[in-house]
This record gives sequence, C-alpha cells and structure tokens, in this order.
Amino acid sequence: MTNQATIETEARQTKPRTAVGRSRSAAGVKPERANWSGTAILLLCAVTVLLPLYVTVSMAFKTQGQAVDGNAFSFPAPFSLDGFVQAWTLTNFPVGAAMSLLVTAGTVVATIILAAFASYAIVRNWERKLFRYSFFYLLAAMFIPFPVVALPQIQLTGRLGLDNPFGVILLATMFQLSFSVLLFTAFLRSIPMELEESARIDGATTWQTFWKLIFPLLAPMSATVGIFAFLYAWNDFMMPSLIISDPALQTLPVRQNLFQTQFSNNYHVSFASYLMAMAPAIVAYLFTQRWVMAGVTQGAVKG
Amino acid sequence: MVSAQSTRKKRLAAMGLGLALLAGLLSGCTGEPGKETIRFTFSKREAIGFMGKLVADYNASQDKTQVVMDTSGVDVVSASFVRGNPPDIALANYNMESSRFVQRGVLSDLSGTNAASRIREDLQPLMDQYGKYPGRTSALPYSVMASSVIYNKDIFAANNIEVPTTWSQLIAACEKLKAAGVTPFYATWKDDWTIAQGWFDYSVGGQVDTLDFFKKLADEGTGVGPDSSVSFQKDFDQPVSRMLQLTKNYVNKDAASRAYGDGNLAFSQGKAAMYLQGPWAFSEVAKTAPDLKLGTFPLPMTENPEDLRVRVNVDLAAWIPEASKHKDAARDFLEYLYKPEVMDAYNKSQLGFTPTKDSTVVPDPRIAGMAGYYEQGKVYQGPSVLVPKTIPIMNYTQALVFGAGPESTLRTLDADWAHLAFRQ
Repeated sequence: MTNQATIETEARQTKPRTAVGRSRSAAGVKPERANWSGTAILLLCAVTVLLPLYVTVSMAFKTQGQAVDGNAFSFPAPFSLDGFVQAWTLTNFPVGAAMSLLVTAGTVVATIILAAFASYAIVRNWERKLFRYSFFYLLAAMFIPFPVVALPQIQLTGRLGLDNPFGVILLATMFQLSFSVLLFTAFLRSIPMELEESARIDGATTWQTFWKLIFPLLAPMSATVGIFAFLYAWNDFMMPSLIISDPALQTLPVRQNLFQTQFSNNYHVSFASYLMAMAPAIVAYLFTQRWVMAGVTQGAVKG
Repeated sequence: MVSAQSTRKKRLAAMGLGLALLAGLLSGCTGEPGKETIRFTFSKREAIGFMGKLVADYNASQDKTQVVMDTSGVDVVSASFVRGNPPDIALANYNMESSRFVQRGVLSDLSGTNAASRIREDLQPLMDQYGKYPGRTSALPYSVMASSVIYNKDIFAANNIEVPTTWSQLIAACEKLKAAGVTPFYATWKDDWTIAQGWFDYSVGGQVDTLDFFKKLADEGTGVGPDSSVSFQKDFDQPVSRMLQLTKNYVNKDAASRAYGDGNLAFSQGKAAMYLQGPWAFSEVAKTAPDLKLGTFPLPMTENPEDLRVRVNVDLAAWIPEASKHKDAARDFLEYLYKPEVMDAYNKSQLGFTPTKDSTVVPDPRIAGMAGYYEQGKVYQGPSVLVPKTIPIMNYTQALVFGAGPESTLRTLDADWAHLAFRQ
C-alpha cells in the first residue's frame, strides 16, 4: 500500500514536467521532432506504475480460487465482488476509514498551522539565538525515526490517556513538524519584508499580519506540507498500531494487517481492501497535485 | 467587519460542535451498560470467522460479561503490556515471543481452573520447553498443530507405493517416483521458513530427541562447542546430511525460486508426490483443488519404525494477564472456551488436535495419519522454533540446501548459541 502510493506519487510528478516541455515546444517557431527515446523511457516508467495497478484492480475482482492460481495478469473471470464484501466486513471499513480520516485530517491541519507558526516566528527572528537554535532543534527531530523512541512513547501516551487517535495525531504532527518547518522557512525567506511593513503601517498587529498576509501567501507551500502530512498519516502503520490501544479506534492500515499471514494468502480480499484504502490518497493527490508541484519547485528554487 | 466577526463566531461554533461530536464518538465505544466488558485477543486470521461465532454465542448465553474480540495482532499486545493495559484474555500462538510474557511473570496462574485439570500432562513439557514461571501455570494449550509429510494419495496409489516407515523405504519410494517421471518432493526454498519448518525440523526431529537435546544445550550454555556433551555439530550432523541427500536428489529443479504460495499451487496441480508442510497448507491447497486426496505421514529418518514422530507446535495457548482488571470474568470465558464441545468444534474446523484428555474429535482424513502418533505422545517441537530468534537459523538452513558446508554451518550455530548464552 505504502509503496504503491509512493510509486503513484512519483509517476504523477513526472507528468507535469512533460506537459511543460510540450507547451514550450508549441510556443516555438517550428514543431520539434518527436523525442522517441524519451518517449520510450517514459512509456517504460508508465508501465512500471500501470502494471502493478492493473494487477491490484484485477486481483480485487477475482474469486479466491483464481486469485491464487499463479496467473497474476489474467482477467477476472468470473467477475466477483466477494473480495470487497469480505474486506468491508473484516476491517469494519466505515469505522476504520473514519478513524484514518480523523487521524489524517488532524495531522494535516495541526502540521500546517503549527509549522507555519513556528517558521514565521523563526524566520522573522533569525538574528536571535533562541529562535535560530530552536530551528535546529526542530530539524534534529528528522534524525529520530519513530521505532527508536517507540517504547517510551507507548508508555507516555498510556499514562497521559493519549493511547487513542489523538495521541497519534500529536505524535504524527511532531514527526512531520521538522520537515514542514524546513519547507516553510525556505519559502518564507522569499516573501519580501516590504509587504509586511506596509501592513504594519496600515496598523496591523503581528497576529493580523500573519493571518491576513503571510498565511495566504504561504498557500502553495501549505498545500505541499499538507500533502506530505496526508500521505504520511494516511499510510502510517507502525505508530497507530502501537499507540492506539482500543481496537475499535484503530486505523485502516492496521486493520488490513490481518489479511496476509505467513501461512495463508488472500490476495483478492487484500487487494480489494488496499484499493479501498488507496482511493482517498489518490483522489486527494488528483485534486491538489497542481499546488504540490508549484510548492515543490518554488521551495526548491528559492530555498 | 460585522460579517467577518459573525463568520468567525460561526467557525468557532463549528469547531466546538466538531469536538463535541468526537468526544461523543469516543465515549460511545465503551460497550453495553450493565455488562462487564473484557477484551479478548485473537489473531489467527483463518479462524477469525469461526471464533467470532463462538464469542457471539457466549455473549448471548449469559448477561454478565460482554466479550470484545481484538484481532489486531501480536505487536499490539506487546505494546499493551508496555502501556499497562493488556487484553483480559488471549488465545495466541505459543512461541519464543509469547513465552517472554511467561518468563517475566506478567501472566496469572491458571492452575486452579477446571480447564487446566483436563490438559494432557504429557504435553506440558512442550509448554515448559519455552520457559516457565515458578509455581504458576501461566498458559494452557488450546490447539495443537501436528505437521509432517503431506502426500498425494492418488500419485502414491498410481505408482504402487506404500507409506514409507523407514529411511530405506523412503529412498526406495523416491527412486520409484523419480523413475516414473514424478517429482518426489515439492520444495519452496525461496521462503526460508519452509526449509526450517519442514526439511530441517522433520529431519532433525526424526532422529534427535529435541526435548533432551535442548535441555542439555541450555545447561551447557557458553560451553557449547566441539567438546561439549551435546552440540549442533555433533548431534545434527547425521540428520542434516540425510536432509541434504533428499534435497540434492529428489526435489523439483526450480525449488530455489519457488515460494510457499507457488508450492501450494503446484502441489494442488499434482506436480509432486510429497510436500513438507503443516496443516495450514491444506486450506491453501484446497483453494485451487478442493477434492484432492491428501494424507500425512511422519518423515522416516531411521531404520526403526518406532522412531517415527510428528512435529507439533502449540498453535494456540490461552493466557490471562496479571494486570487484567477483569480476571474473574476472563476465567469464566476461559472455561467456556475449554468446554469439550466448543474446543473440539474449533480444532476440527482448523485441522488441529485438542490437547485435553477427554477429546473425542475424529480427525479429518487428511491428518488421520498423524493422529496415532499424537495420541501416544510421539511428538517433538521443531528445533528451528526452539532456537532464539536472534540466531538466524532459517537463513542457515537455507544456506545448507543452497550448498553451504554442513560442518561449518553447524559450527557457526554452536558458536552463535555460546555467544548468546554469554550475553544473557
């Protein structure tokens, strides 16, 4: 699931680039010769994404017998919805999806807001030691993977009554924060001070300057940060599995864990369930990829 | 300005409403009023449906306790122990990992229960082999899986082969199959666990008394090596060389690239006569060939039919954590699970054996070949599961069948054992 989502991400990121190339050639005086070698390579790349996706979709509609018969590429015959039905009931999909959605939405919102706050404060006070060092402090979290600190965090969240989705939101936000602050600060440096000064002359407070001026200007980067947070929170397995103690509040990836064991394969159920879980990530990406690309390139150039 | 303020108010109101909804959602998950809720961890994927029905029956049968089944897996259980809110009762695979809970004394004593009094005493060593906590019966076996050679009855009949009971008969059978153009064994070496579970464990268990061997090995501790009373290099040498004789001559040519899933498919298509897997493979084979006639027999490794034994593992054991706040309710549910009709029905559905004295299950024809050995207690636990996970024994066995020298590999195993003993 995670891999597929990232493959998906990468593939989609390549597309706008080719679109830019084409529009540039169209604007030129004479049409450029077709770039066959480039096309071939891109086709190959597309196949590496489409083939697994095809297998995922076709597997999901197969019957149990056909799913394990060793022909991954065969077309489902008979066409069966059994996998979806089983996946739906086994994972208690509506509740699982709601929990995943809650965790994801919470993480995305909290990450964007907190990271934007922190970055704004840090960038505008860069000459002060406290802020400079707090920036490095936040960045340092990038070097601490969750498994290393899992044990104390399980204990801590347990003691504080945070062994539920809210604890996951809190921790996921914390882990997302460092990377997001890095992106935001790079972007913030490109916003001219004069804009803020004009707002101040009009009588805006710091709070108003941030909400009315800076935060809207940060929108493309917020989208980027949001999407990274979304993909992370939606796909994460380990943290929710260890932090959430009540199985009724568990997120989708953890619920799906029971499909694949050492001793048995249930490809049709697993893939049906993966498809259902993948859908929101893909949909979210489809709608926001414009901003992601804009955000990534802007951050890259001006950072 | 007025409109801006009113939208802000609305926004605040919406946020408050959202939080209230969430709080309601979370508090709504505490279960039925008036009933004591206990959390029951069960994560055997294939049996979740069956167990779900048993739990529903229990919940309907009385009005004191509400059992909630948790299928989220073993890692989650470990985390819950760390957090201090473990499940109230669990039925889980009994292995090195879960025995840690036993050794550290976090599981309560079940010796006073009715269920405990009905467990076969001769199976207790299998439980104790993973370690025990003094003065306690920490876990009770619930379902025992026996595994041995699975064979295709039709292929054996077509080639006029009887079930072999000695090593020479096994070799003769393999030669006969080979001459007839049939692959004797289907091997799936891409998955290293299949080598450790089948080839290695059956070969060693058929010749070595593993209970005695591992006890002595533990006593030797850091002294394990060429001069100790028992060692892998001395005691496992003969079984491993016989195993290699089989793996070199009588398996499918593409064994190295086949995985467990491929093996189930190929075996269901009759591509080989024998398959070294446990009963879990039956349901996988049945997915593509539901009517295939299959049987089982212990892998003969010596010339004496008396030495025949089947590999067993405690597939499910029941335990109740010390930290549970609902121990009495959990015990009541435990007694329900151990009712003869409930237990037998479960084991029948999963092709397992019941570890109680009064079991009346008629074994499925597919595992009937092992029933006699199980009832007489001619069983052993696989050496591969008795070695701590820190030692990569599965990889070692894979190296063996891929051509690594048996002497040096077994020497490495000895050295690893001694290192581990030194560290502990």
